[in-house]
Amino acid sequence: MLHSLKQFGSGARAAVNVVTSALPIAIIGGLLYAGFFVKAEAVINKVEPKAVERRDNFFSVVAPDAQIAWAAGTGGKIVRSDDGGRTWHRQDSTTLENLQGIAAWDAQHAVVAGNHGVVLYTSDGGSTWKHAQVPKSDNPNKLFRVHIFDGVAWAVGEFGSLLRSDDKGATWTRAMEEKDRAWNDVFFRGRLGWLVGEFGTVMRSTDGGATWSETALDNKVSLMGVDFRDDLNGVAVGLTGTVLVTSDGGQTWREVARPTREHLLDIAWDEKRWVAVGDKGVMVTSDAAANEWKAARISEGDVSWRTQITRAGDRHYVAGANLAVLDGGTLTIVGR
Amino acid sequence: MKNETFSKVERLFATLIRHRAWVVLTVAVMTAFMGWLASHVEVKTVFSDLLPKNHPYVAVNQRFKSTFGGSNMVSIMLEVKDGTIFDPAVLAKVQKITVGLQQVDSVDTYQIISIASKKIKEVRASTEGVESRPIMWPELPKGPAEIAVLKEAVLNNPLIYGPYVSMDLKATLITADFLDGDINYSRAFDQIMSLVGQADGDGVMVRVVGEPVLYGWVNFYLDETIRIFFAAIASLVIILLLITRTWHGTVLPLLAGVVSAIWALGAARLMGFHLDPLVIVVAFLITAQAISNSVQLISRYDDEIAQGARSSAAAAVASAKNLFKPSMLAIVCDAGCVLVVALTPIPMLEKISYIGTVWILSIFVSALILTPVMLSFFRPGGGPVHPINIRPVLDAILRTCAGIVTTRMRYVVLGLTGIVFLVSGWYAFNLKVGDANPGSPILWPDSSYNQDATDINRQFQGSDRMFVVVAGKEKGALREPEVLASMANFQRYMEAQPEVGGSISLADILPQVRRVLREGNPMYAELGNDAAENSELTYMFVSGSDPGDMDRYADADARNGAVTLFFRDHQGETIRTAVARVQDYVANNPIEKAEYLLAGGLVGVLAAVNEVILAGQIEAIALALLVLVVCCTVTYRSTVAGVFFMIPVMLSNTITFSYMALNDIGMNINTLPVVALGIGLGVDYSFYIVDGIREELHHNPNVERAIVKALSSAGRGVLVTALTLITSVGLWSFSSLRLQADMGLLIALWLFISAFSALFIMPAIVYVFRPAFVVGSKQRPIERAEPAVVV
Repeated sequence: MLHSLKQFGSGARAAVNVVTSALPIAIIGGLLYAGFFVKAEAVINKVEPKAVERRDNFFSVVAPDAQIAWAAGTGGKIVRSDDGGRTWHRQDSTTLENLQGIAAWDAQHAVVAGNHGVVLYTSDGGSTWKHAQVPKSDNPNKLFRVHIFDGVAWAVGEFGSLLRSDDKGATWTRAMEEKDRAWNDVFFRGRLGWLVGEFGTVMRSTDGGATWSETALDNKVSLMGVDFRDDLNGVAVGLTGTVLVTSDGGQTWREVARPTREHLLDIAWDEKRWVAVGDKGVMVTSDAAANEWKAARISEGDVSWRTQITRAGDRHYVAGANLAVLDGGTLTIVGR
Repeated sequence: MKNETFSKVERLFATLIRHRAWVVLTVAVMTAFMGWLASHVEVKTVFSDLLPKNHPYVAVNQRFKSTFGGSNMVSIMLEVKDGTIFDPAVLAKVQKITVGLQQVDSVDTYQIISIASKKIKEVRASTEGVESRPIMWPELPKGPAEIAVLKEAVLNNPLIYGPYVSMDLKATLITADFLDGDINYSRAFDQIMSLVGQADGDGVMVRVVGEPVLYGWVNFYLDETIRIFFAAIASLVIILLLITRTWHGTVLPLLAGVVSAIWALGAARLMGFHLDPLVIVVAFLITAQAISNSVQLISRYDDEIAQGARSSAAAAVASAKNLFKPSMLAIVCDAGCVLVVALTPIPMLEKISYIGTVWILSIFVSALILTPVMLSFFRPGGGPVHPINIRPVLDAILRTCAGIVTTRMRYVVLGLTGIVFLVSGWYAFNLKVGDANPGSPILWPDSSYNQDATDINRQFQGSDRMFVVVAGKEKGALREPEVLASMANFQRYMEAQPEVGGSISLADILPQVRRVLREGNPMYAELGNDAAENSELTYMFVSGSDPGDMDRYADADARNGAVTLFFRDHQGETIRTAVARVQDYVANNPIEKAEYLLAGGLVGVLAAVNEVILAGQIEAIALALLVLVVCCTVTYRSTVAGVFFMIPVMLSNTITFSYMALNDIGMNINTLPVVALGIGLGVDYSFYIVDGIREELHHNPNVERAIVKALSSAGRGVLVTALTLITSVGLWSFSSLRLQADMGLLIALWLFISAFSALFIMPAIVYVFRPAFVVGSKQRPIERAEPAVVV
């Protein structure tokens, strides 16, 4: 073939010579360039984090209606379900603080509270969470729980923090003077209100939270949760299985036999029975009388701690070391 | 070659053959000496040899491995068939292995961790404050009540429940780190396996993985490796004897191979190198070159005899003279190509490259000199040594080659070659850098090691570790809330990758301590509010424990800490994704008081290896091509020759890479030696054929006739070598080590492509393009040969 180039004269042959001389240099040069300068930039798989990650703890869960639920937890995590807890999606909370409490007025309006006085509220179902105006002091301003009673949001926390918001979470005011004692839970029925906290303290209000008086108790164990099924009958639970019961609207409390030695961290009346959850998968239940308590695991073999249980229709949501849905005795852990 | 050079070479070989006794004696003495040296070469794996020099990840690993856990970790899992591990018999086994590991060679006694070790503790509040104490050390629990307490302690501690006891309570993990320096994998493996053997049974299954165990398995199969090696050599002898039907055609190539191997191993000993059992297959690649050169000389010798050479010596000299140029070119070029591999900054490759270079250069003596000298001892004539004659088959194949080149079929062959080159070149981009499969690619997927790995990764977070160092700018940096929060957030970010089974750091421990301190309230399971509180929490955890117990999380003055990530596999893709994500996180979340340093542990160093391999391999190919082009250009005084001989090399590279991509063989530290050394070795056969054509043109100007003649002479040598070696290399596919089987196949493929290019493609290119350096041109016509000189 190179022979046939002869007819094109010396110019063509020179061109061929140039090409054949330049070719190896070009190939080798190209490879050397690649070897020295091209980094192994392989296609990196994009990793989309799941809504509920392994590391997440959820401290609080709320269900404004049968289908919708919100949960809040570590690292500023807020997730929401619109299908009764089957699927969850993550919402942008704009914070990395641990969020300990969440409450909702309806499907659109909700509020979360957490460490360092972080309180966020939404009025669009959680598409955007805005920072609320919160009175802070020079302690860590750790808030534990937030609840809504008659449209008013109440938050409790360390150093005697009791905050209220009358504008769906946007601004908060202090409802009680600070004191070196943590409030762990608050409950209202109309004008009647109860606060429980560290060192076994219970406070009671009869004027919608304007003034509070301490109830005398023998119990010194920290109380973690309180709930009432009517104006008279209520239950408070606390560490190492403490259960206190009242039948006179919280004026006097009696301690019942401890159903467990594990910490009990939340109590709820689910219209049929009392149910409390706590450490190591423990769940204790009682009928309305609240005298006989039965301890069991929330599910066979489950040993996770739980800080909140809330009912929505036929099912319960439980928040804690993980987020789970309890439906007719079957516990489904989200994200497993 | 110029007539003048011819006669010089001729005189040289005539002299050598005249003093043949001395030549043989000298070579024999040298070989004996080298053999003595070679017998002292150590066969072992040195892990640090696999680590790229000067790579930042490796530097981090070397600096921190003694505290944060290096790449030599063994994981032993005890799994019960029924019930849970909270059974006195099972717990006793855990304790026995944990204690027994202390006695294993090269184990880092401070880094043996299990529920029965002093390292695994619970922090609990008591009347005297907070205490941390081992959960099952030094005594086993007595009676059901104490077992219940132990179970509670496990369940309540996320640092144990999950990482060291499986979620279903059916399995528990024991991990041990080994010191890098002088680890004897075989001995450690035997000791570990004996512990494992004692514990296995009674409803308890024991699984064990880790690099030391992996290399232990490789050594375990060393006997088999050696058996296959000898079987391969035996088959080589049988096939050579079958094809050549002569003793000299059988013995001399083998002699060339053996002498070369002995010299190379002796030289390895002189250079202070050891031999890795995994790269024994590579020996075949180079032995193939020695045998190939020898077979060419013998093939030519037989032709000379057949054409009526006066004596055996005359035929030997003629053979050596005529093949001197292509054999020298092949040796120099191959040696150069192998030598450039030394530029890859991995010590093992460097060593293999030096040994390989010496090995190839030794072919000059073992084949180029020894074969003609030994040939002169054989008496020409004499019938074949056995009646089976497969020569007609070979001749038929060679006639087909000639037929293709001299008919229009040559265009078809060239067209197909072009298509194959383009397609394989494109497909080669699918080649995966790093391991392409979960488990170890060294062993078969159904090997007990890989099954153990699968089982452990099913029950636990992952047995392959990577630690990322959090290096504080000053002392106490790891007590700063900013740094700890960043670490916790980093862990959350990394765990989103499915292959990351979990992670652990100081940021996981302090919240547990804080929770205990706060009446066990989980709402306080979080980091302290300030450095002082974190410092106090650290103190609480450390108090009562041995100095050094905190080391795997942070150093004593809280300056440097580690986030340890557990991986379920170490595939290239997994590692690259993880590294990219670490970099991504660090770039998007800068912190003031510390910086993140990549990366230690097995996954960390593999990340470094994988980063080096790709760039190193492209460089090696480029430089090998450069060597080839320079050699050819100088030899034939033509740049066209350079381009011409690049064709078979590039073709064998693209096809081999495509084959690897197709069969999920990743380009990793174990496959690299074969791939890297193979780059330059594909071209020898083509040298012989093309030079044969050129030499033939000295005698006869007809190109077509020259090609047919070259194919029938040099072509037969190529065919014999290729058939022999491909068959014997195929024996490696019976190896219990998957790597050897894969590499055997790869070498066979390599040899096949080289032979195919030499027999079908290169002659066709010569015929079609008539390159001037082969067929001559008006300016530089081919010199006519002078009549043979009488010896």
